[in-house]
Amino acid sequence: MPEIARGEYLEELATLEASALGGLDLVAIALGRTMEAVENQDVELAQVVIADDDRIDGRYLEVHQGLITLLATQSPVATDLRLISALLHVLKSIERMGDQCVNVCKVIPLSGNDAPADPRMVELILKMGAHTRTLIMQAKRAFEERDVEMAQDLVRRDDVVDELNRECFHLALEIGDDADRREWGMTMLLAARAIERVGDNAVDIGEQVAFVVTGLFREFEDASHPS
Amino acid sequence: MLGAATKRRATEEQQQTTGDRPAGVTSTEPVTKAVRGAKTIEARDVNLFYGDFHAVEDVTMTIAPNKVTALIGSSGCGKTTFLRSLNRMHELTPGARVDGHVSLDGEDIYGKGVDPVEVRRLIGMVFQQPNPFPTMSIYDNVAAGLNLNSRGVSKSQKDSVVERSLRGAHLWEEVKDRLGKPGSSLSGGQQQRLCIARAIAVEPEVLLMDEPCSALDPLATLAIEDLIAELKNRYTIVIVTHNMQQAARASDVTAFFNLDATGKPGHLVEVGATNEIFTNPSQQQTEDYVSGRFG
Repeated sequence: MPEIARGEYLEELATLEASALGGLDLVAIALGRTMEAVENQDVELAQVVIADDDRIDGRYLEVHQGLITLLATQSPVATDLRLISALLHVLKSIERMGDQCVNVCKVIPLSGNDAPADPRMVELILKMGAHTRTLIMQAKRAFEERDVEMAQDLVRRDDVVDELNRECFHLALEIGDDADRREWGMTMLLAARAIERVGDNAVDIGEQVAFVVTGLFREFEDASHPS
Repeated sequence: MLGAATKRRATEEQQQTTGDRPAGVTSTEPVTKAVRGAKTIEARDVNLFYGDFHAVEDVTMTIAPNKVTALIGSSGCGKTTFLRSLNRMHELTPGARVDGHVSLDGEDIYGKGVDPVEVRRLIGMVFQQPNPFPTMSIYDNVAAGLNLNSRGVSKSQKDSVVERSLRGAHLWEEVKDRLGKPGSSLSGGQQQRLCIARAIAVEPEVLLMDEPCSALDPLATLAIEDLIAELKNRYTIVIVTHNMQQAARASDVTAFFNLDATGKPGHLVEVGATNEIFTNPSQQQTEDYVSGRFG
């Protein structure tokens, strides 16, 4: 009898992992729609993304509850314990990623209905979105395959997103003296910053991959002590 | 050399043993001088046998003072046999013998001229089933070891040892008004604490515990675990447990024993800090066992 119970527990843990990582697919969809909304200044699509964030939050609550139940009833240890701890962190990252998409979508109405003040800025943000989407999917695959090397490679890809974000900043500085243009520039900068944070969250997930595999937690990059 | 001598001695004792006092060695020279405090146990290349059956193979480990060391592993892996070899209780079983080296702060407990009874005073044992002497009073249960080990102890000295031991076992407040009642009148958890009081009355340096909570309910178990946490300040503690959560909760160091197949000798797979063993063990066998994937 105990073997059956243990088997169910392992199955349940695997299901919860799949469900948590499935949250990254939801984020990838939300980010894709967010980019489309930015490109077309599509306020309605932005509203869809905002409303749909409930699905990501719901996934968070559901998997979180399942993991807490396993902790309470199965006393997981060793790799299982590390996996559950990592999934709790991953869930938080996914939930934050969803919120960042919402943050971008909330500023779209602020950018007005006129043509973009500087199409180069929009182009940069779309590029950031595309790179970040790749980051999200790579983080998911690295976790599924317990591939530390692939997880560490997220840092390299994230550097590209960071660089694009800096370019956005410089463009915003040069956008001119017109108050409307400056407002638009600042708004776009907020959007770029939110997407840049999604990339960071993907790297955070990569760090959890390394923790599950090695048992050691360390940040791939220490923002307060950059190498 | 040591192994051969140990085997010979064990055989001699086995022939001469009567009751629980092996008569092969007559010297009562203490293993250690009368310096109080927890001591280090060093087991080196320990092999244990029951007749032809090789029960435990090549165990080498150091058991640190003022720490709780848990021995875990599935049934038949030799953990209890190994525990019993640490105070020469193993040799009370007919046909049992020990090969290898066990020392207490550097002094060989199987050394020539060492009295096994004195070894068992220094290294006390608490068993799975609380086993107070049923017809003896609570008081006499605690004083029993004292009566055997020390002659000419005055009543007032005895009173003070009994009180100190019962306090040390967190039992004094519950029994101080009925010390004359039989030990068997206590609850299971109280009986086990009485046995711990009996074990510490003779001022041991090490306490060995063989599944001390397996017959107790969760509350009594927690009381014993609290007691163990306190006792480690004074003693070296080794505990055999089937309860993985207990090992995780109550021990500082965990040693995992396993056997490759039924009939094969048990061996030590891994020993390490308990938090390491339960979060990131270095051996796959340990991982599988603590995660409940077999056994």
